[in-house]
Amino acid sequence: MHLHLAGHLAWYDAQKRSRLIIQLAEPVGLSDLLRDLGIPIAEIAVATVNGVVVELETARVSNTDRVELFPPVGGG
Amino acid sequence: MPYGTSGKILRVDLTHRTTRVETFDEAFYRLYPGGKALAAYILLRELPRGTEPFDPANLLIFANGVLTGAPFSTATRFSAVARSPLTYAYGESEAAGYWGPELKNAGWEAIVITGRAESPVYLWIHNDHVEIRDARHLWGREPYDVQETIRAELGDKLIRILQIGLGGENRVRFAGMTNELRHFAARAGIGAVMGSKNLRAIAVRGTGRYADWAYDAKGVAALGPVLAKRVKEHPQSWDLQNKGTPGLVEGLNAAGILPTRNFRQGAFESVDKIKWEAYEKELLTARRTCYACAVRCKREVKVEDRYQVSDAYGGPEYESLDGFSANCGVDDLQAAAKANELCNRYVLDTISCSSTIAFAMECFEHGLIGLKETGGIELRFGNAEAMLKMIELIARREGIGNLLAEGVKRAAEVIGGDARYFAMHVKGQELPMHDPRGKVGVGLGYAVNEAGADHLTSVHDPMIANPDSVGFKGAAPLGIEPVPPRELSARKARNYYRVENWVSAEKVTGMCFFGPAPRSFIQIDELVNALRAATGWDITLEEVLRIGERATNLARAFNVREGFSRKDDVLPERLHQPLENGALAGVAIPKAEFEEMLTHLYKFKGWDPQTTMPTREKLRELGIEWVADLLEHK
Repeated sequence: MHLHLAGHLAWYDAQKRSRLIIQLAEPVGLSDLLRDLGIPIAEIAVATVNGVVVELETARVSNTDRVELFPPVGGG
Repeated sequence: MPYGTSGKILRVDLTHRTTRVETFDEAFYRLYPGGKALAAYILLRELPRGTEPFDPANLLIFANGVLTGAPFSTATRFSAVARSPLTYAYGESEAAGYWGPELKNAGWEAIVITGRAESPVYLWIHNDHVEIRDARHLWGREPYDVQETIRAELGDKLIRILQIGLGGENRVRFAGMTNELRHFAARAGIGAVMGSKNLRAIAVRGTGRYADWAYDAKGVAALGPVLAKRVKEHPQSWDLQNKGTPGLVEGLNAAGILPTRNFRQGAFESVDKIKWEAYEKELLTARRTCYACAVRCKREVKVEDRYQVSDAYGGPEYESLDGFSANCGVDDLQAAAKANELCNRYVLDTISCSSTIAFAMECFEHGLIGLKETGGIELRFGNAEAMLKMIELIARREGIGNLLAEGVKRAAEVIGGDARYFAMHVKGQELPMHDPRGKVGVGLGYAVNEAGADHLTSVHDPMIANPDSVGFKGAAPLGIEPVPPRELSARKARNYYRVENWVSAEKVTGMCFFGPAPRSFIQIDELVNALRAATGWDITLEEVLRIGERATNLARAFNVREGFSRKDDVLPERLHQPLENGALAGVAIPKAEFEEMLTHLYKFKGWDPQTTMPTREKLRELGIEWVADLLEHK
């Protein structure tokens, strides 16, 4: 699975990576996966799977998916 | 003697070529402690009602905040205020960089300029020494040359220079000011007011230090190393240092609120060509900063490829980037960088300029203007060359550029027909690159802000939507509650009101929007403590919020006196129409519910919901009942 941590979400990765490849043996709940990775769900404003916006709590992802997570955006 | 300030205002009359010093006392200072509060007070008290923006009598006011120049990150900003030639309302712009702190170090809290010089001049301030100098040899020249020339003729490379460019000289109604070539007080056309006064630049050298003014200099300075260490330990500041504002593009696109093709759409099909990873690869050469700021959010770019982009004028921020790419339908990052460089070179507001060009593109595609008007240019969405040509024409007021230099509101009135539906503005000021259809509180800000559409008036809804987020927890002491970004409600209006007072206080104290909560790089109690150390006051958060609210009420009073009312606090019709594409395709802001929320906001503010005039009771509460007397006898 390709995971993109946009904006300040990459800060929560121990190596500060914005793009990760994660091997999934079977489909998992996205929110469970994020808890395992230490990415705080409260910091995610928008999540997409293969370019489609999904609900974090109900989305399931598998090994071939491209997942993108975006934090809330203030002014700039 | 007041602390945290020199207590000195420099008065300059360009018509009579005179200067004088004014001082203020502690009681005055505690009510109007610099920045927006001081500038709005002076504009309201002193500018005769009905003064035309380009009349020599218009005031041009620069005001530092209590903390401008304090030795810690994000305490860098000054306000520039005048009656705006773009909106005819209270006009306000702020900038960071280095000029405000230098002015503070020279011992001046503010400069108030009136009159018009007979021929171009610049102002030279070296501590107490003030001189009006000939600038005929600088008029028409580029900012880089002007800066180098002034430093050479005054013999000091450390002089900090605030200046206008060709746009301000030609009174383009959205011309701004630049300091150190890379930091822009761009909005509201204050640079055009400066140009109308034949004032090209203000050069400043100050050898004082912030500690000279502070009550407890060590107490203020203590925050410096704490924040310097925190930059990499905090997600928001880490991200700003890493990507800067260009990092916002892809998140807004995913959320369906990346302004695209003049706000018709919320997602750009070529977003991969303009997002941060492309920016880093194609444009980025370095990271820079402002005075004493460890965040380092400024991007430096240089291009020698499809376009030649100089590294003298700073790289595009998010607003400029989206404005000159997606919102003009242009998928070429280098063209957007070139457009940004041209605007910076001519010192034009990139938001208003890009929005005006997007407006003209839509007019062209609908046949409201044709090749005859554009001088043979195919002014369609996506035409990068046409976009760049328009900037040149606007800065020089040549051809159709002379019309577009008036901004979208006036241009739409001249073009007629449906053009007004394509003019994305509030009170005449063009919309920033944030679509309120996905964050309606930003729409409240666009509607009510005294200076016209602005994205830095309060919090952006998603930042405080989740009670467990860094943003919400940081801003919680302001008395907010978590509300979904698209909810239109009284509680949304209340959140807006509470945070607006805080953000307004940032504009009074000279703080950057990227420091304090809800960004939360600086916590609320840390800022209140810094203010205590600077001033010696036993100030509380509630007093800080009142300071911010007082400043907003002064600006509102100015507008009410000039005939503005609720009819001017309206969003462009397009925002009440559905987005054409993206994650929020089909979503609009329902007008009746928005109006209801606006009424709630006026009630929270203590303003009459029709006239928007602050009530006497509210003004008394804020300690400025004199404003009620002034409005009753307007």
